[in-house]
This record gives sequence, C-alpha cells and structure tokens, in this order.
Amino acid sequence: MSARVSTKSFLPLLNIEKETKRWNQLYKVMTEPKPDIIPTPRKCVWKKNKTTLWYHPAKEKKHAVPVFLVYSLLNKVYILDVGEGSSVVGGLTERGYDVYLLDWGTPGLEDADLTLENYIIDYLENALKRAIRHSGAKEMSLMGYCLGGTMAAILASITSLPIKNLVLAAVPIDFSIGTVPQKWLDGIQNGELSFDRFANAYQTLPSEFLYLMFKLITPLNAATMANLYTRAHDEIYVEKWRRMDKWTKDAQAFTGAAFKQFFNDFYKENKLLKGELVMDGRKVDLKNIKCPLFVFSCSRDTLIAEKQSLPIMDLVSSEDKTYEVYEGGHVSLVLTGVFAEIMDPWLSTRSHDLQEIRS
Amino acid sequence: MSKEKTYDLFAGYKLLSEMWEKQLMDLLFKATDNKEFVRTANIGLDLHSRYMERVRKNQEFIAALMNIPTKKDVANAAKMSIQAEEKFDSLEEQVWNLQDGLASFSKENLTFLQEIINTINQMKAESLKTKAELAETKKIKTDLQDLRQGLVDIKILQVNLQEMCKELEGLKVIQAELKDSLTHQEPPKTDRGLEELRQEIAQLAEIKSEIASLKELMGKEKERKQKKEPEKELVLPGASTTK
Repeated sequence: MSARVSTKSFLPLLNIEKETKRWNQLYKVMTEPKPDIIPTPRKCVWKKNKTTLWYHPAKEKKHAVPVFLVYSLLNKVYILDVGEGSSVVGGLTERGYDVYLLDWGTPGLEDADLTLENYIIDYLENALKRAIRHSGAKEMSLMGYCLGGTMAAILASITSLPIKNLVLAAVPIDFSIGTVPQKWLDGIQNGELSFDRFANAYQTLPSEFLYLMFKLITPLNAATMANLYTRAHDEIYVEKWRRMDKWTKDAQAFTGAAFKQFFNDFYKENKLLKGELVMDGRKVDLKNIKCPLFVFSCSRDTLIAEKQSLPIMDLVSSEDKTYEVYEGGHVSLVLTGVFAEIMDPWLSTRSHDLQEIRS
Repeated sequence: MSKEKTYDLFAGYKLLSEMWEKQLMDLLFKATDNKEFVRTANIGLDLHSRYMERVRKNQEFIAALMNIPTKKDVANAAKMSIQAEEKFDSLEEQVWNLQDGLASFSKENLTFLQEIINTINQMKAESLKTKAELAETKKIKTDLQDLRQGLVDIKILQVNLQEMCKELEGLKVIQAELKDSLTHQEPPKTDRGLEELRQEIAQLAEIKSEIASLKELMGKEKERKQKKEPEKELVLPGASTTK
C-alpha cells in the first residue's frame, strides 16, 4: 500500500488545464508578433536630433526633487519603461516621483561623428538643464544605469547644474577588469584588438553588430528558454518574458566615433579611473562629486562585474554614500522593475518629502 | 519529507538547462581566452573592415557616375537640419537668458516701486500731520495776535490809570487845600470850591467805577492767558513726535 502511494506521488500528475495553457502560451510566443511596449504616460519636453526628453508625471506627487534617468547608449529606451508592472519609470511615478527620461534614439549615418563627449555635453547636460527648467525644481536626482551610469557620473563630476542625489546601477567605472575573457581585455589594452578601422568603415555601427557583440559575451540563452517552458502556464510571466525577449533582440545602433572613444579612452587607457578623461575642456575628476551617492551592483551580472563599480566609492568626495548588492542579473534589475523598489527607500529620504515641506 | 516530493518535469529541465548552459559557457570562455583567438578576431575584423571600405568606395563611385544620391548625401542633408536645430536650441537658450534677465530686472523694479510707494504713503501721512499742525499754528497765531492786542489795551489802560492816579493825587491836594480853606473860612471861595469839589467827587466816582471795570477786564485777560499757554506748548511745530 505504502509503495503504491509513494509511486503515485512520485509520478507527475498531469494537470490537463495547466498543460493546455502552457502549450497555448508557448505557441503564442512562437507565432505571434512581438508585443507592443506601452510606455508610462508621458509628455515630450525637448527634442534634439534623435534624442527626446520625456516627462513622466508622478501619479501622486510625494517628493519635491524629480528624478532624471539615463540609460546606456547600447540599449533601447524601453529598457527602463518596459510596460506596466515591470517598468522602472512606472515604479518611480507610482512612488510619487516626477520622472524625466532621456531617450537617446537610434543614430543614423549622419550621427557617425557623435562622440561620447557630444552625447554627455550637448545632449545629456542640455537635457538635464531643460528638465530642471521644466520641473521648476531647484535640484534634480540623477540616476544612471550601466553605461548610462558612467555617463551620469562623468556629467556629475563636470557640471555646475544642481544635482541633489546620484544613483548608479550596474555601472562600469574601472574598465581594466570585466566579465569577458582576460586575454580579450589584454588585447584591447595592448592594441592587438582594435575596432577603429571597423568603426571607420561602418561610420555608424548597425544594430546587428551590437546584437552579435552581446551574443559573443553571453552566447547561450538556454536558461531563458527553460524559464519560459517552466512557467509558460503563467500568463503574466509570459507577457513579461515576451517584452524582455523583444528588448533582448532589439539592439541599438552605435555611432562610430563614440564606439572608438568607448574602446580607446575607457577599455584601452582606462582614462576615467585614472582621472585623465577630458570632456569639452573640462577634466573629469570623480572627486568633484559631492552629492549623496547610491551605487548598487548585481550579484549575477554577466556584463558588469561588481569590481568594476566598486572603485567609485573611494574616488568621490561624497560624505553620504551607500553601496548595495542586488541578488539578480544585469537585465532583470531593470526589466522586472525591481530597480525602483531598491532605489526608493534610499532616495525618498533625500528627495524632500512634500508632506514634510507643507507641514 | 523526501517521500512527499513529486517529480516536476519542467523543474528538472530547467535545472539541467542551467547546468548545461553554465558548463558550456565556461568551456567557451576558456576556449576563447587566448591570444590566438584575439589575433584571429582582429585579423577577421580588419579583413571585414577592408571589404566594407571597398564596398562603400565603389558604392560612392557608381552613384556619382549614375548621378544618384547615396545614403551619405542624405546624411549630409540631415546634418544641415541638425545644425539648424542646434541653432534653434541656442536661440531658445538666449531667449531664456533674456527672459530670466527681464524677470529679475522687473522683480528689482517691482521692489523699487514698492519702496517708492511706501515712501510716498509715508510722506502723505506726514504731510497730513504737517497740515493739521499748520492749522493749529495758524490758530495759535491768531490767538497770539488777540493776546498782543489785549496787552496793548492793557498798556493803554495802565497809562490811563497812571494819569488817573496823578489826577487823584491832584484831587487829594485840592482836598487838602479845601480843608485848609475851610478852616481859614473864606466863604465866597468856599461856595465855588464846594461846587468844584462836588464835580470832582462825581468824576472820582466815575473814575473808580472805570478802574473797577478795568480790574475786572485785567482779571479776565489773565485767566485767558493762563488757559492759552498749555495749548501753545502742545502745538509747537518743533515739538512734533511723529516722523
């Protein structure tokens, strides 16, 4: 009797309803077009070339200091606004922050000469200036993710604009180390591997090349597919998975000049860490960052190692600085919307609560 | 506890996939972590770049021959619109600066005007006070003139009184003379003298009544003077406490 019970409990009981749902969902994923990404309610504040500054008003404003979000040039804008329930922007607006998001747009051949300097000074700094003017706030919190974090840190160290708080997530600061094989890094550093001629030939690197580059870093995605098969009966999960899948395959084009600068100034010479980087005649010294700083890394990040972010904690002059490690991956941090959850407790205490001001 | 566990096919699949992926990733990582791979990749990149350069060069050459625009021409046209956009932005910023300048200027003007209005209001209040004080002063002036006139009258009365006193003294002398003549009995003179004496006594009675009325007047003037003096102290323009 007991043997029969144990065999029965060992064998999987086929839940017809669940399985039908699972395979229907899987069929839907395979056959239907990629989902449309519906952004959090927004308003265009400024446009320049392909760049757009979006304003996402808070659902119920609770904090006087708005948040300005900067994402990586290697990503599409919806990495921070992937849809309701998973959006970083949506999470922040729900928590009472006015959010400004700088959409880099997709560069074309005419933008081939745009360097990181152009992006930081002509686009990012101008956008921040306009966001401050639009909000009417005296200060603004600056938040950067991935390479957007590096750009935000550079801007914070050279600008005279009032930055209240600086939040950096999965940010590379030290480029002498990485998640790619060491010999690749050595090759870039000693000039054995150069992308200059390649960037010159293409002028603006097509999105397909960027997709291949990321594929070279993480060539397999069996775990992602396994996750889908395992949880395909869960409609909400499948919806989120589809949005994430769309983003993963929707790579971004990159301007040749910025690509060369990225590899030469950052990976080859590590100028940011050494304090040798110059932007628009202004020396980038991270010591100039004096505002409260919050940095967090991802424990299972396959793109940016924790060691790459850590040096900034010693380089800045900020007295109020916090470092945290999030248990998760580089992309899941933003595509699940957990970013807003992690950031809120730290940021809310430093964003002038409106209720406190009123009382 | 282990007996209660059921076998989940998908959980097992997931576990195995993750394991395999990790193993394969490690293998690929190790396989590519060498100088040869890097050199080969660089050669591949160079060859591909050279090929792309040639393609672009030929593309431009053929397009020029065929007199058709290439993507480069379109990009050049787009660059011009970007430049125009940048100029608009810079103009917009200049307008902002002007707006800000004007706003701060008008704010300064507003505070300045506010100060002027305050000063005018203060001056208006003070002028009203001065006007009231002036009216008081005029009143005092007329009172003073009245007093002066009164004093002149008093002086005239004094002179009159002095004259009367002299006359009285004269009368006293006449009286004494009369007494003397009465005692020496000079009748013809006495009758005339008596008549004169009666007339003088009548005059004296009149004078006495006049003196009494003058004394009464003087008393009244003194009282008036005493009443006016405290008012004078209050309305002196130099003694104003408000400014």
